[in-house]
Amino acid sequence: MPVRVVESNTPAQVSGTDPGNRSPLPPSSLLGAGQAFSGTQNVSNQQKEEAWRVNVQIQGIDLEHGYLCGTMEALNVPMADTPVITFWEGEIVDGKNYTFYTGKWEATREDDMRHWSKFPSFSPLQGQVETDGGRQLDLNNYPYIFMRWKEQYFVNVGTDCGLTIAGFYYVCFSCSDGSISGFYYDPNSSPFQKLELKTVNEGRSGFSFSSYELQ
Amino acid sequence: MPTTTTSSASSSSSASGNNRQSDVFSRLASSDPEVKLKALREVKNQIIGNRTKKLSFLKLGAIPAIASVLADADDSDECNNILVQSAAALGSFACGFEAGVQAVLDAGVFPHLLRLLTNTDEKVVDAGARSLRMIFQSNQAPKYDFLQEKNMEFLFSLLNSENENVSGLGASIIAHACGTSVEQRVLCEAGVLEKLVILLDGSLSQREACLESLATVLKNNPEAVSDFVGLESGKYFNSVTELTKDRYPRTRLLSCLCLVVIYNTSPSYFINMGTKSSLITTLLELLNDPGQSGDDAALGLSCLIAEKEDLQQLAYEADAIKNIVEILKTGSELQSKRLQGLFLSLAELCSKLEDCRCSFLSLQVLDLLTDALRHKDADVRAAACICFRNAARSVKSLSAGRFNSDHVMLPLVQLLHDPSSSVQVAVLGALNNIVMDFSSPKSSFIEYGGIKQLTELSKSMDPNTRCSALRALRNLMFLADIKRKELFYSDFKAQGLACLISDPEPPVQEQALALLRNLVDGCISSIEFVFDEDGLILDTVGRQLRKAPQAQMAIQGMYVLTNVASGTELHKEAVMEQLFPQAKAGSENFMLKFLQSDESQLRSAAVWTIVNLISPSSPGAFDRHVKLRNAGIIPQLKNMVNDACLDVKIRIRTVLGQSMSFGDNY
Repeated sequence: MPVRVVESNTPAQVSGTDPGNRSPLPPSSLLGAGQAFSGTQNVSNQQKEEAWRVNVQIQGIDLEHGYLCGTMEALNVPMADTPVITFWEGEIVDGKNYTFYTGKWEATREDDMRHWSKFPSFSPLQGQVETDGGRQLDLNNYPYIFMRWKEQYFVNVGTDCGLTIAGFYYVCFSCSDGSISGFYYDPNSSPFQKLELKTVNEGRSGFSFSSYELQ
Repeated sequence: MPTTTTSSASSSSSASGNNRQSDVFSRLASSDPEVKLKALREVKNQIIGNRTKKLSFLKLGAIPAIASVLADADDSDECNNILVQSAAALGSFACGFEAGVQAVLDAGVFPHLLRLLTNTDEKVVDAGARSLRMIFQSNQAPKYDFLQEKNMEFLFSLLNSENENVSGLGASIIAHACGTSVEQRVLCEAGVLEKLVILLDGSLSQREACLESLATVLKNNPEAVSDFVGLESGKYFNSVTELTKDRYPRTRLLSCLCLVVIYNTSPSYFINMGTKSSLITTLLELLNDPGQSGDDAALGLSCLIAEKEDLQQLAYEADAIKNIVEILKTGSELQSKRLQGLFLSLAELCSKLEDCRCSFLSLQVLDLLTDALRHKDADVRAAACICFRNAARSVKSLSAGRFNSDHVMLPLVQLLHDPSSSVQVAVLGALNNIVMDFSSPKSSFIEYGGIKQLTELSKSMDPNTRCSALRALRNLMFLADIKRKELFYSDFKAQGLACLISDPEPPVQEQALALLRNLVDGCISSIEFVFDEDGLILDTVGRQLRKAPQAQMAIQGMYVLTNVASGTELHKEAVMEQLFPQAKAGSENFMLKFLQSDESQLRSAAVWTIVNLISPSSPGAFDRHVKLRNAGIIPQLKNMVNDACLDVKIRIRTVLGQSMSFGDNY
């Protein structure tokens, strides 16, 4: 059943309209430049179980354009001597710049719904997305952020390293604890390789935040 | 017939050429009108279109000599030719040659040229008007006081004249002398728009003078624009739009520039996407014009697309980047003004759109840019810096290490000592972005002594420079390893940072705190910087936060406390000491004030500090929670469970969840 997802009685606020704010507030402090995440990507296939350790760092975020980017580092990759680092760019499903429908990268609408529906946090939205693409949804007030991450290039290895970055990730970020889950989609790779990450605090007892400002 | 006493004029050697030049002076002073006339013609013919000759004659004192001829000639018919030729020569000296304009004005020529406008002979009037127009093309033209009634009367008498040079002069005076909104208003109220638009149907020169003056009167003045557009239900607005397709390039350019002014003042008159596209396409075509129109088109394009993402997108789709880069790569010597305009246009194109930046950088442009950094003209160097700055807004390109090379970094660092302050400002902006070297811990900028230079600049007398330098240092410290931080700190020290955190200017304070925030992020040992020299830095932060600071400064200050509070027990206790200083028991707690701020980022930062202070994994969390509760902070958070900002709301729930685990009732 279609349902609005605003949790409180206060009027829904579009990100960026807080009075006196100089720039749009990120929907979550934990999804900001400099934030680091660590976990695994399950790359199992029918032949064997395998998981790579993965570190992700956000390098930039531009809410106005629904854009973010960063690096992804895969450790213990069998074909590589060193950790493999890629640079990725993300699309934030905000209903303004991007919707739940990918519209490219060989992903059909059915592929989209198949992947999004694997996130429990997507269930309350599913009906409305299937009906009208989710146009009415107030995603800026939902405590989960949906994104697509697409790796663009290898940072530290050549393209002949035996690895592929042809696909992309459907990603769900939890605003409350900063955890990330994702599913890799590539028609030529094992389906539903799951990415699971948590925030990293570099040995600190709490959260730490850095920032930069481009002129 | 009088003859000169110098040697024969038939020799072709440079010595005799010089003789001939100086010989002409005695002929100018001749009492024989024919000799004088011939000398005038000679000078005029030599200097037309020849800057070298203009300079040469100027140095020999030709202008005062000709000014005397003009002043001494009366208005009789016999003197008409002399009046015409002397005015023409003086006009030629002033044409596109600033030193000539200066010399002509210094020679007191102005009133004599004005006198010519009332001569009965049309040719004399023409010559006077043309010369005056040349003077009014220059920034050195005398100020024209439009607020004086007699001046306004004179101006309108010019505009009303049937002589195209005279009416054109009137328009030129407006184009180059009208500078303030008060002057614009006075001119509009006097009916100048109605007079000017008549010239649109006149000769080429009248049309062009009209377009230039319209642009001046309408610039940044919505009322004037509204008046103009309203004239005869938009007839003249349409005429100007049609003139963008005129066969003369200068007319196309001036009509485009007029439309740019109207667009920038009142964009609502341009609802038609086709008009916007057409304006952009016309300006792009004019970039290829070899003359002054091409120079002006480049600057005009940058003005049009500045700050406007939709127009930048249109220009990008019209292949603007590729076209401009091709012009820059032709290898031919381009005028400084054109180069400046082209780089500024590229800068505007790269200002907001990532596609544009990537497209620009894919065209192998770094050599072009680094060459321009060494251009003799400061405006070109500054424009190249701005172009660098905007291209480097691409995190993707920064991450790929595109700018992190000696080839790029060295000329930029050298420009920190550029004699021009506008270049220094521009290069600081570029470096601010380029130092974001996500790609590797090795930084060319640091290897070239960049940190030392920025440290010096952070002590500048100019607050903007201090701010810019700190911002660049902040970026350098973003995710920096301990080695880089120590390198920075070894120059700065606690005193240096404390001083800037207490700077009289709030933006400087803000950047200093943002820098400190980055310094204490990362590995936990980084937190120790704030404890150096008996905790000088941390005490300074606390003191500033207690002083009712501006929101942006408070946000950075609270994040410093947040980051410190993510450390060890000692670190958390040190933050508590800043929140509840012994010496100031009973004073209003700034944390409470910040939690009630209208700024959601500040509320968020304050809540994060609390999250970290009562982080369950730390032994002293319970005691700190008690203290925070007793100070009214936890109860305040309970009032905020439905905060309008999702991020704040989520963090508060985290805190209250932790509170519950300490036995506090939600």
